[in-house]
Amino acid sequence: MNMLAARAPWLARAVQSRDFVPLIMLAFTALLVVAPLTMILLATLTPDGQAAWQAVTNSPLSRNLWWRPLGNTVILGIGVTIGSVLLGGFLAWLIVLTDVPMRRFLAVMSILPFMTPSFASALAWATLFRNERIGGQAGYLASNGIPIPDWLAWGLVPTLIVLIAQFYSLAYTLIAASLSSVSGDLVESAEMAGAKRGRILFGIVLPIVTPALISGGMLAFAGAVSNFAAPALLGAPVRMQTLSTRIYGMVQTGNIERGYVLALLLMIAAAALLYFSDRFVSGRRAFVTVTGKGTRTKRFALGRWRWPLFVFATAIGVITTIVPIVVLFASSMAPRPGVLFSNWTLHYWIGQGGTQIAEGQAGIFRNPHLIDGIFTTIRLGLTVAACAMVVGLMIAYTIVRYKASPYTRLLSQLSFVPLFIPSIAMAAAYIAMYGTSLGPIPALYGTFILIVMAATANLMPYAVQSGRGVLSQLSADLEESARLTGAGPMRRMMEIIVPLAIRGIMAGGLLVFVKIVRDLSLVVLLFSASTPLLSMIAFQYASQGFMQFANAVTLLILVLCLLASFLAHLLQNKVQKWKKT
Amino acid sequence: MEKNLNSVERMTASTEPAIAIRNLHKRFDDVSAVSDVNISVPAGAFLVLVGPSGCGKSTLLRMLAGLEPPSDGEIAFGGKVVSNGKAGVIHSAASRDAGMVFQSYALWPHKTVEGNIDWPLKVAGWSRKDRARRIEEVLEFLDISALRSRYPAEMSGGQQQRVAIARTIGPQPKILLLDEPLSNLDAKLRVDMRSELMRIHRATKATSVYVTHDQVEAMTMATHVAVLRGGRVEQFGSPDELLMKPQTTFVATFLGTPAGNVIPVQAVGDQLCHDGTALAPALMAEGHGKAQLLYRAQDITVGRQDGVPVMQATYAESSPIAGQTMITCMVGDLRITAMVDGFFRAVAGETIEISFLRAPDAVFDENGDRISK
Repeated sequence: MNMLAARAPWLARAVQSRDFVPLIMLAFTALLVVAPLTMILLATLTPDGQAAWQAVTNSPLSRNLWWRPLGNTVILGIGVTIGSVLLGGFLAWLIVLTDVPMRRFLAVMSILPFMTPSFASALAWATLFRNERIGGQAGYLASNGIPIPDWLAWGLVPTLIVLIAQFYSLAYTLIAASLSSVSGDLVESAEMAGAKRGRILFGIVLPIVTPALISGGMLAFAGAVSNFAAPALLGAPVRMQTLSTRIYGMVQTGNIERGYVLALLLMIAAAALLYFSDRFVSGRRAFVTVTGKGTRTKRFALGRWRWPLFVFATAIGVITTIVPIVVLFASSMAPRPGVLFSNWTLHYWIGQGGTQIAEGQAGIFRNPHLIDGIFTTIRLGLTVAACAMVVGLMIAYTIVRYKASPYTRLLSQLSFVPLFIPSIAMAAAYIAMYGTSLGPIPALYGTFILIVMAATANLMPYAVQSGRGVLSQLSADLEESARLTGAGPMRRMMEIIVPLAIRGIMAGGLLVFVKIVRDLSLVVLLFSASTPLLSMIAFQYASQGFMQFANAVTLLILVLCLLASFLAHLLQNKVQKWKKT
Repeated sequence: MEKNLNSVERMTASTEPAIAIRNLHKRFDDVSAVSDVNISVPAGAFLVLVGPSGCGKSTLLRMLAGLEPPSDGEIAFGGKVVSNGKAGVIHSAASRDAGMVFQSYALWPHKTVEGNIDWPLKVAGWSRKDRARRIEEVLEFLDISALRSRYPAEMSGGQQQRVAIARTIGPQPKILLLDEPLSNLDAKLRVDMRSELMRIHRATKATSVYVTHDQVEAMTMATHVAVLRGGRVEQFGSPDELLMKPQTTFVATFLGTPAGNVIPVQAVGDQLCHDGTALAPALMAEGHGKAQLLYRAQDITVGRQDGVPVMQATYAESSPIAGQTMITCMVGDLRITAMVDGFFRAVAGETIEISFLRAPDAVFDENGDRISK
């Protein structure tokens, strides 16, 4: 530094300035998030782009390109939000605030759907409810003589059900956390005041957890609006389009500018709705429950409703997690969708090609793409997990350490922008940015590195959040007390900081891994033959009507996700172990 | 203990006691939290339940509030049984005409100060006019009018405490229950709030039950004190009674500032001796071979005095109190507190001599029970 100061004093001053690190991180974030968004906007300002704006917003085509998909997307978003908050809120209330039996079991059941990819439940739905409308093999129920009406087999209703079945567990997690922070004293003091149960629920408990209800709903809304798998598998065959399936369709058919325009409009629509609900939340007071003692929750006695409600809650969990897995498994073993539970065969897994079944298709393990896909998927998951955690830690550290810099506020806001960008729109932006060579950067379209970059940008808010979680375990006191013992920086790093942080980082990284492995909406646009991914292979099998193969591949993804979640859960418990003592 | 109960019963015999607890038990699974508690106090009393943590005092309070059913025995308010072992909670928390101040304050975080005070009145069905009037009254009374539109998170601990009290006395309960209300406040504020609480007690005339682990609070505020230990009432009576006539060594060493010294002794010939030093005539032990003697701090001083028992001790620490100095020293493993006039300092570890100026105040047997004198 001294040499630098002698040679280039201005540079030394810059490096030592409190704004230097925030600015570097800001530039980095801009490259990952802002640049692609700018490029997609610029791409729609070219003559081709202007024609696309015209076609999408103001032409005979716009009804089919924009308005109807928008309508479907909004219906899905609102429906999923209401359904998820009601279902998740009911379960949270039951598990946290009542004496329902086997609460721990119900709690685990309620978070499981969050681990399963939405195309798993969509495929399971199709396996059971598919009818003959679009040809191909009918599902289990129709094949066994139970007529399935079109509205139950295809389109908005099944998409809505499948998405609610996944997102209620997200709402549950947030609402349950908020409910368990409502101390028993608050409820008991209302009881002492003479309030009856209903009055306590509506007068005290609900107002306190309202912010959690709204943010749970917001996340469900954002997830539903940007979901690709469920509408693509259950809606697109009957031409029910949402904005995300429309974007995919446009990019696939070469109308790439129209895809960009739709992606921009989707971003604006999603961001506007999320922004206003966020304003609504932060306009209210975030109720910090101030308590001296640890929070002890007060459980209401359900009386004779205890067991009926337990059965009901268990049924929700079983139908949304166990049943889809069982259906996928049985279907991957059954010779025909009409006979799920007998004559099992391993054909769809390891069978040779050219036989009578499945139009001569070989089992998935004979598909050279699949073996490749397993490794590519794991490699992608690990790479993104590593990148996201490093980026998350660096940004989180900058935000905490350089609070004083005006650029830090901007950095912190910018790092949360991807939360408002549906992942398929983010993918489109990445195509706009890196699809062709740009100055010194070669065209990255279809490469592994492009998917890694887009995924890192997509998961940035999540990574920064878990980076902050890790850093919060590392108070400055801990490091300073180590320094006072005379330990050098290397030793402090290895013996104090790394042991404290490593488990949190691993746990955060594993969850990133899960999110990537089960993702379809981001990779569906960025995928290419040189980067085969399990979720894409499953999607392709499904689009070609080979349900059993798709189900088998989906099971592989599920196993990967559950293993990683389980590992993360173990690590997280270890992380908290020393907190308890 | 029986004797004391009788004296209290005499005190309260005139009318039905405001609170009567009879043979009360509370078991959680196999753990007994409260055993065989008998306490009754007249209307307007200030009953303090004091004891170390885990002694069952909060559980007892929660049973009084109607938040927990007793396992056995009964609780009566003004002659009306509100809970018993058979039926559990007969009159719900709401219908007992009792208010409770929680240790955590339990202020509803989404309501302003006014909202917190208003809600219980609203639930109780007060008219809008009466509510507005009552809110003004209690805000004024607790001197928190300026805070009326604040949220709980925007106030200091002491302010929250005042709001919690205001909310509780709003509906004018006959019985006021307080669960360690001062334990989250700093030392200075605690002393202020103590007199504030007594002012409130005088003004509301509500029969109060106050749970604390701080014996100073018990001695300064109570009309009646129950010392609890391991779920049982160790002694029940007025503060003076407990201080002057402790029935057990636990009470003797728990109460008082400074607490009494209890010295184990053995009968040697016609003397009771501690480690070779004769302290008192053996007659005082009434035939017990081993006994324990209670000496107040003011009955022990530093320095050799003629004609009284003297012991060697190791100086530990001292602290000046109102022109005197309180000295702590060790005789073997035994910690002894003595008083001297003026200031006194020594080097920790130095050997000093302590003199026992008067005869022991009380004699206890080996198990810690008082031997009647």
